[in-house]
Amino acid sequence: MILMTNYLPSDTIDRLIKLTPELSTFTVRHQRDKVVAATQKSEEGLFDPTLPGLTLVERLLVALLACTLTPSELCAAEYHQRLVHLKVEQNLLDLVKRGEIEQVTDARLRAMLTFSRTLITDPVNADQAALKALPQAGLSTPEVVTLAQLIAFVSYQVRVVAGLNAMKLLEQQA
Amino acid sequence: MSERIEIKGFTNATLGWKAWLDVVSLDAATPEQIAVLEESHPQAKVSDYYLFLVHQPEILKQRSVAFNAIMYAPGGMPRAERELGATVVSRINGCVYCASVHAQRFEQLAKRTDAVIEVFTDPQTAGTSERERAIVQFSIELTSHPERVSPASIQALKNVGLTELEILDLMHSVAIFAWANRLMLNLGEPIFA
Repeated sequence: MILMTNYLPSDTIDRLIKLTPELSTFTVRHQRDKVVAATQKSEEGLFDPTLPGLTLVERLLVALLACTLTPSELCAAEYHQRLVHLKVEQNLLDLVKRGEIEQVTDARLRAMLTFSRTLITDPVNADQAALKALPQAGLSTPEVVTLAQLIAFVSYQVRVVAGLNAMKLLEQQA
Repeated sequence: MSERIEIKGFTNATLGWKAWLDVVSLDAATPEQIAVLEESHPQAKVSDYYLFLVHQPEILKQRSVAFNAIMYAPGGMPRAERELGATVVSRINGCVYCASVHAQRFEQLAKRTDAVIEVFTDPQTAGTSERERAIVQFSIELTSHPERVSPASIQALKNVGLTELEILDLMHSVAIFAWANRLMLNLGEPIFA
């Protein structure tokens, strides 16, 4: 039996929208448990500290920018908190949250954030030149794949969060 | 296929797709990469898309599990309607390749093309019934403005008879195409026969 007061979900989306087992939205979501598990494992894989290539801080900064631009307050707050936990300097976090990517001094990070901005706000204009700017900034092909999957995953995650949160709020209005 | 559709740059014709950067060659692939390709899609070993994404096999694997569970799971929203949602998202995001694949799947499952023609022509007004129009409207809102999705958005779907599980399936279908479209659009381009 689960004690509601002590319920600490290991699932990020359940935790972000405070989806607890007594809610019908929780029950519905977990009827698709394969999706729940693959979503969580995707996140854990993309933010695995031991994944070679892009550093965890680079990946979290990309996620923060993606959530800020979408916008998704809930997800942006989550990635912001993880970055604070890793003691990333506030100045850099502020630049990303304000979308002032041009002022990021590290050229490799700047290239990643520029690519991310295009893909979040204007995916149809993510052309060959936008992609090839990444190897030019020193990213290997596996690193490009990580970056593209990361941005695309966050685009998915913010929409699952937005939809489930609306469903939960409707349930609570009833 | 019954009739070929060409509207505003979108089509239901079968397209190819090529990657803009180097793909993994099957000769050089690790056993893990081969296993993930085989799990992902029947044609993955001859597809530039999968051969590119398999540079990161574990990430591709989880994406494929999520994708297949969302689009093919039994029960809940009829599969044709999940494909309709996917087609709407691809039309809104401008992903010609994904739109062609999922327009075809909608046709195969629904045995008609009318809704696809409407989505390609003008997604804002598309839908051949109240239920379809509500599905299309929700798909557009969650794609373009996830921050505006509200309890009223969910209620609108309930009002035309969707169950909560069907609504969940629709949300997942829309969200997974936010993911899929961004990969197809930014890593390569469609090839027209």
